[in-house]
Amino acid sequence: MSDPGVLERGYRRWLRWYPRSFRAEYEAEILALLTDGAMAGQGRPAPRECLDLVLSALRVRLRPRVARSERSVFAAIRAMWIGTAVELVTVVTLVATMSAVRAHTLDQDPGFTAHQWHATVSARFEPNVIGGLVAIGFWICMAWSIGRGHRWPKVALPMFFALNLFGLLDGVLHDAAATSRPDLAAAFVLCLVELVGVVLVFRAKAATCGYPPLP
Amino acid sequence: MQEATFLILTALASGSQHGYGIISDVEAISNGRVRLRAGTLYSALERLRVDGLVRVDREEVVESRLRRYYRLTAEGKRQLAAEASRLQADAATAFDRLGLAGGPAR
Repeated sequence: MSDPGVLERGYRRWLRWYPRSFRAEYEAEILALLTDGAMAGQGRPAPRECLDLVLSALRVRLRPRVARSERSVFAAIRAMWIGTAVELVTVVTLVATMSAVRAHTLDQDPGFTAHQWHATVSARFEPNVIGGLVAIGFWICMAWSIGRGHRWPKVALPMFFALNLFGLLDGVLHDAAATSRPDLAAAFVLCLVELVGVVLVFRAKAATCGYPPLP
Repeated sequence: MQEATFLILTALASGSQHGYGIISDVEAISNGRVRLRAGTLYSALERLRVDGLVRVDREEVVESRLRRYYRLTAEGKRQLAAEASRLQADAATAFDRLGLAGGPAR
């Protein structure tokens, strides 16, 4: 006959996939349900149970923990995902329009050398592509943080907006020759999305992520 | 509303139930088609609590194990009724177009 303590320890190991706050609230209940439902002689968690626990835990970790009635929060999360998509398009646009920018630059300045072009790529394109990839990570992180009810997006998002607005204005006013129109258009759309995100984040009420007390 | 959510709310519509009771009831309501697992159930219950559709009714300790009973809130009842009406209207339209105005032949 198998030791029920071994089975329970097995379930506990799989329950570690859940966030700590979720475990504090539900672990005892889930454990009771799993051990009561275990088959006679079952010595370890069944693969299907493990898969269910892991997938549910990932769902709990990734999904927003704000009530669906908080429309501003969910609209802000959608804005962050739109920002992610636009940023991705921006990076792809940057890479795809490199030759067009080079041709445009040569039209403007026939004496533009290959050495100068490589210097431009190193100084402008590569940092922009790397910056775009970092920004994609930032947008995803913001979407997750807003959904978890964290407060720091209220600080980080306006700063991000100001930084990109400065970059856009700099591109329009000073470096128009080295910046393609699609790149500028994408930067403009990104700034708009960020502005919408900032407004929505500040409109959202303080998120209530705690569990209501027992009656 | 996802089917599992609809069935959990339906299971709680007639009164408070604990986790095992909800799983059994959902299986009975769906004629054995939907068998919720523990992880899925508590992930859904957490979401429903955050949304204010379900709340904890009471807690008991039975044979040194925690047993917590859940119940629908007023908003949960309202949303379940709205979803049931929507499904009923969709089903009526489907039967009507199939020429089965009174529902499926038994």
